[in-house]
Amino acid sequence: MVRKSKTYFLSVLFLTVFVSVTLSAQAQTFEALVKQVKVHTLGNGMKFIVLERHDAPVAAFHVYADVGSANESYGITGISHILEHMAFKGSKVVGTKDFAAECKVLSELDAVYDQWKREEAKATPDKARIKELEAKFTDLEKKAKDYVVNNEYFDMMMREGDAGVNAYTSNDATQYINYLPSNRLEFWMAMTSDRFLNPVFREFYKERDVIMEERRLGLETRPTGKLFEDFMAVAFKAHPYHHEVVGHMSDLQSITRLDVEEYFKKYYGPSNLTVAVVGDVKAEEVFKLAELYFSRIPSGPKPEPVRTKEPEKWGERHVIVSAKAQPYLLVGYHMPDAKNKDSRALEALANIIGQGRSSRLYQTLVKEKKIAVAASSSSGFPSDKFPNLIVFFAVPAAGKKSAECLTSIEEEIEKIKKESVTEDELTKFKRTAIKNILNQMTSNSQMAALLTYADVVLGGFEKGLEQIDQIKALTAADVKRVAGQYLIKTNRTIGEIIPEK
Amino acid sequence: MKKENVANKIFTGLLLLAFFLGTAYGQKGPKDKFVFGPLNPIKMPKVEKAELPNGLKLFLVEDHEFPTIDLWAMVRTGSVFEPIGKIGLASITGQVLRTGGTKTKTGDQIDKELDTLAASVSTAVGTTSGYFSVSVLKEDFDKALSILADILTEPAFSDDKIELAKLQQKTNISRRNDNISSITNREFGKLMYGKDSPYARHTEYATIDAISRQDIIDFYNTYLHPNNTSIAVWGDFKSADMVNKIKTALAKWKKGVLSTQPWPKVSYDYKYTVNFIDKPDVNQSNIMLGHIGGLMNNPDYPALNIMNFILSFERMFKRIRTDEGLAYSVWGDYGASYIYPGTFSCGAQTKSQSTVYAIDIMLKELKKITEQEVSDEELAKAKDGYLNSYVFNFESKSQIVNRLMTYAYYGYPLDFTERLKAGVEKVSKADVLRVAKKYLQPDKVQILVVGKKEDFDKPLSTLGAVNVIDITIPAPKK
Repeated sequence: MVRKSKTYFLSVLFLTVFVSVTLSAQAQTFEALVKQVKVHTLGNGMKFIVLERHDAPVAAFHVYADVGSANESYGITGISHILEHMAFKGSKVVGTKDFAAECKVLSELDAVYDQWKREEAKATPDKARIKELEAKFTDLEKKAKDYVVNNEYFDMMMREGDAGVNAYTSNDATQYINYLPSNRLEFWMAMTSDRFLNPVFREFYKERDVIMEERRLGLETRPTGKLFEDFMAVAFKAHPYHHEVVGHMSDLQSITRLDVEEYFKKYYGPSNLTVAVVGDVKAEEVFKLAELYFSRIPSGPKPEPVRTKEPEKWGERHVIVSAKAQPYLLVGYHMPDAKNKDSRALEALANIIGQGRSSRLYQTLVKEKKIAVAASSSSGFPSDKFPNLIVFFAVPAAGKKSAECLTSIEEEIEKIKKESVTEDELTKFKRTAIKNILNQMTSNSQMAALLTYADVVLGGFEKGLEQIDQIKALTAADVKRVAGQYLIKTNRTIGEIIPEK
Repeated sequence: MKKENVANKIFTGLLLLAFFLGTAYGQKGPKDKFVFGPLNPIKMPKVEKAELPNGLKLFLVEDHEFPTIDLWAMVRTGSVFEPIGKIGLASITGQVLRTGGTKTKTGDQIDKELDTLAASVSTAVGTTSGYFSVSVLKEDFDKALSILADILTEPAFSDDKIELAKLQQKTNISRRNDNISSITNREFGKLMYGKDSPYARHTEYATIDAISRQDIIDFYNTYLHPNNTSIAVWGDFKSADMVNKIKTALAKWKKGVLSTQPWPKVSYDYKYTVNFIDKPDVNQSNIMLGHIGGLMNNPDYPALNIMNFILSFERMFKRIRTDEGLAYSVWGDYGASYIYPGTFSCGAQTKSQSTVYAIDIMLKELKKITEQEVSDEELAKAKDGYLNSYVFNFESKSQIVNRLMTYAYYGYPLDFTERLKAGVEKVSKADVLRVAKKYLQPDKVQILVVGKKEDFDKPLSTLGAVNVIDITIPAPKK
């Protein structure tokens, strides 16, 4: 599953304030928090975070690999998401009837695939040779398949009661999820360490086909999917938020099993993995088993960070997607990453302008002018480990055009630049932020997601506390200032769906 | 003799090796035998039940982990009861009940008041139920409850918000063919229940235009009574206090005529049909095929559950997705609902060039499950999976109280989950085959394909006479 995981920034923080959360209460939070969340790092750099919660005899397991489509370069776009899929294909033990024999066929298969693709790429390809290689490939693929135990990883996990075995890839991360009855802790350790220690990327070429279908389903057959792809490609000229998580079709058609092996080696080592376990477990037990099962994975260097930064923009950008569909408007302005303090004020701005029925856009575009049936805004788009976008959406009402909506959005933005926001609006944002955190913390799985996010992206869950303080300290002047600083035309990209006749 | 000795030596050697490895490493392989310790017992929360003098039923669970209170209610009504010429009435009533304000406050004032508290109060009407809900920090509960009480008892249904709701409905109509998946689901529903059935029909410009403010008031007056309503509440409160609070706040909500209107019946003729909708701007076909499904209170439901898992995962997923790489999402599911028959459907989305090929495989897998027993392994995996994950039915208090309220609303036994588990434990291979034969009719499925026919691998006519469905949206009256 490709999911744009937009984890709420404040994440973890309120972990503790179970007793009384009001806007003013919280100072004692930090110590209680540190007491509840336990962290242990293995010698190889892999980090385990545990939050014990004994309400029900279950546990959520969340493996966060600090690698997503933003780490990809030309030619291998979509490869992080491919690795999300390939993680379910098993290991030297799981998913095979005879690994030694299978392994030989897989190597032959890769070699033939390579020859086949090289022949195709020649200026004057030998058609007969291509046919021969293709036949050989199909034959070897069948042979390899004979050794495969179909979906054995899923079988084993689900049979032990996994209620939500899944994985997600975003621009920033690849995340693997399990929900098990809590007495399956060691089983999870055995299964998961095995697939990170000895992964086998079998059935690779068929899975690539599945992913191409996923691209068609999620992006190519949906007008808004097409718009988002082109919009991001225009908004980011250099930084890899430029391309969609699922990758370009031609890359999906060309990425090889060896590419995947190399990418795995580079990015899915223990120093790049953070695990959160939330539920009816004992932290000490988790750490003991983590040492036993995961410390055997050889350490490697932490991968090099993404090099490319989004350069200066020379002007406003505008992209139009022509589709057999009704109009749609998307406006984005560049904003900093999650760690930057200004992001808090921009979050407030997005909330005040476009979240909730009393927000300015809904009030004006939908209720008063009736030029849109929906209008909203959001910060941290598409992810927020790197500088990203604050975006505004409008769905024009029947018979109305995007242009009218754009004018009204601009007016609302200008008003804030001139007149700032009200105290009521600021209160709304602050309370909503806290309510959202509380809502997310009710589930083990979301809690596990928050813990890993805060640790990896913010640099520790205590950093989240600082963010809460930043939110509490926000003033109307801060919001006004960032509106003036970031919501300017040279910083803007406009995307539209224009109906095809 | 000699052989035995060698075998013994090897065995002892292995034991030693295992012992050595065990002390040195102690890890188990994924396929080693795991002995799981006992699971901590499920803590069933105490669900308080109460019925107020006005007939309102309450289900309450205290949950003091977070300082929040949530409430969710079901009202016996639904879009199935709206008049045929006024489709959209139920949904608009549900929306404007909340947005249209009250005697004392406009909808916009309420929006602002709630947003500032980060609170939500919402109302809606779905196919077989009305809903309302509240979600607040506990310190704001009284304010939100008082707003809810006003909304339920003295809604203003302002013209302005009726107009907005109608505009939103009409905009949705104008956009309903933009996405292939919504086309497929909508039109498959019509094939199953009939295009005029309350379970499948949909809005048109004319049905929206036909709705008056008086219709909305009448719909509200007919159904929105406390004695038609059940409420689940969970969060940081004391149950006795909460009952009193709700009793006081909603005392002005007076008993009305109980809604006993029967749920509309579904009649279905099993037949084989091939249906096509042209969508020339896509490169992937959306396929659904199937026939009518059943009810959850069917005694065969536990066996059907196991059959569904095997058909969806062991057969459709493993074959069409994993072996063939033909689709990302694929399923085969005998759907069952609470009070009207669900649909049995198999589905996949595959590139245009493999459309008929994928359908052929789906039909073969479907036939197979009605002809041969599933394997011991398949049955064991399905049952173990169900039973081992059963504990997730009790993960949170909100989930438990909402489930109980829903069972009560639809007249199901409150221990339905427990009964289902007991049923699943008994399911045999013979049961799976029996229910597959009884409930699935592979020769009488209705096939729907939405896609670009020029790119299909084979013409759809190879599957049978093709019925082309026109999805042109009837133009609004000027």
